[in-house]
Amino acid sequence: MEQIAQHWSVAIFVVAVFGLCAFMVGLASLLGGRAWGHQKNTPFESGIVPVGSAHQRFSVKFYMVAMLFVIFDVEALFLFAWAVTVRESGWTGFVEAFIFIVVLLAGLIYLSRVGALDWAPIKRAKEIKTSS
Amino acid sequence: MNLTTSHLIALLPLMLVCATVVIVMLAVAWRRNHFMSATLTVIGLNAALLALIPAAQVAPIQVTPLLMVDHYSLFYMGLILVAALACTTLAYAYLETLPDQRDEFYMLLGCSVAGALVLVASQHLTSLFIGLELMSVPLYGLSGYAFKERTSLESGIKYMVLSAMASAFLLFGMALLYAESGTLSFTGLGQQLSAGGLASNWVILGVGMMVVGLGFKLSIAPFHLWTPDVYEGAPAPVSAFLATVSKVAVFAMLMRLFSLAPATADGWLHTIIAVLAVLSMVVGNLLALMQSNLKRIIGYSSIAHLGYLLTALVASDGLALEATAVYLVTYVATVLGAFGVITLVSSPYRGADAGLLYHYRGLFWRRPYLTAVLTVMMLSLAGIPMTAGFIGKFYVFSVGVESSLWWLVGGVVLGSALGLYYYLRVMVTLYLSPAEQPGRDAPHDWAQQVGGLMVLVLAVLVLIMGVYPQPLIDLAQMAGLQFPI
Repeated sequence: MEQIAQHWSVAIFVVAVFGLCAFMVGLASLLGGRAWGHQKNTPFESGIVPVGSAHQRFSVKFYMVAMLFVIFDVEALFLFAWAVTVRESGWTGFVEAFIFIVVLLAGLIYLSRVGALDWAPIKRAKEIKTSS
Repeated sequence: MNLTTSHLIALLPLMLVCATVVIVMLAVAWRRNHFMSATLTVIGLNAALLALIPAAQVAPIQVTPLLMVDHYSLFYMGLILVAALACTTLAYAYLETLPDQRDEFYMLLGCSVAGALVLVASQHLTSLFIGLELMSVPLYGLSGYAFKERTSLESGIKYMVLSAMASAFLLFGMALLYAESGTLSFTGLGQQLSAGGLASNWVILGVGMMVVGLGFKLSIAPFHLWTPDVYEGAPAPVSAFLATVSKVAVFAMLMRLFSLAPATADGWLHTIIAVLAVLSMVVGNLLALMQSNLKRIIGYSSIAHLGYLLTALVASDGLALEATAVYLVTYVATVLGAFGVITLVSSPYRGADAGLLYHYRGLFWRRPYLTAVLTVMMLSLAGIPMTAGFIGKFYVFSVGVESSLWWLVGGVVLGSALGLYYYLRVMVTLYLSPAEQPGRDAPHDWAQQVGGLMVLVLAVLVLIMGVYPQPLIDLAQMAGLQFPI
């Protein structure tokens, strides 16, 4: 019975939070005045006139490198888990962590050789190579 | 728990496959050479195959609570490694002229094989999931490997999206089972569930979700929709891999799950699986009737064959384990042979695979040996006596009769009768007068290539297994399950 009461209080709390948000935003939009103008539609950049378009083009490489970063970053999590139990896991754990790191290193070597880490597009990289 | 030498020996096949992947990766980083990558992979897989012998001497042994290396898992590991070797051989001929990077294929294949090896040895839901994902994720890349072909890319994406959904189902099911039983090991689950019965709604929901997830991976009837498209679009060696290695691994694992965690409390699960089995047999065979693409036909026929095989799962006593082993061996040999011929006709890579039956019209007049191989494979798929397929089907039959599963036996009979029609249709096409314009053709020296030799060996093997199955049966009887202490 008490549990149900607790659940109810949580539910009411959640409903109240959303209700309050909706109330504040809704009432402000109903009661508040609006001003229209050309300058109002430009993005606010601390008083400086914005330059260029917001639709910037990112190189696909950006996503590639970001993805690789996330992959290797997640691998580091495993090493954290090992680091806190390094004494308990002993030499077996050390050897296993070593193998893990070696495999990661092999992956990194492979990636850099394949060119996945080169920032510049292939065409430009070739030009740089030939000019130097 | 301490790892001793015997634990390491038991894990040696798995470790060798993993090492092969890393070595191939480093070799590619050093210098790209298709021949070298393929050779390294073949050496690694063969070494893993040899490592099964010392592993068999220390088996049965439990390596951590996750893996159980017993004769059962070693048997399926051997089957998986042999099938992977065959796929590597086929892929080498196929990829030779792929206008893209070819070496990554072998790394993905190696990762997938490692996952399959984990899967057949798993006795814990954690290792089950790790193995399943390790096996499936590289397969997305493999089935989209010739991504300049629209169909290949499509099959890769389709497989990825649907497979991810199936994994989500599986995980949710596991979570519910864990919430109810508090354990993830197969035996622990079995004890908890038999103690508490299968009454709880959460258990029913959890088991149901796991059936959906695993049914997808096995392409059981209501979850089969991806199969023909993926088989058709993926490069032929990958289709061979999908049809053999992934099916064998998932089925072997499922069999272990069913034997260790028997869900026989009130039998509703068995009823569900029996219904799915009959549905697979009927749907798979009926849909295959009107297909004009050989790869799609084999895809639909694999749905039907998994349906036959589920009979053994429903029985799961007496002959069931032996029947599964024999059936899977004969099925793997047959499908590898069939896809091998498709690969040889389609390779070297020249655009989309030669899948249409039209391409095979009158193949006999150009390539008598290749046609003979394909004919044997079709006969074996249909389960005609003197071929391996008959032995497998006979086993399934006897299991069904032994456990008095009359509906399933009826389904097998009906399915086989339906199946005969489209298998014969393929065979008739092979011997018709050749098409006006010669279509795709195998390279003239196909018999000298390793792939050609391999399909010939497979054809001979299928015939030998059909005539003299005793060695196979002995081997299957040795592959007993070890119950953990």
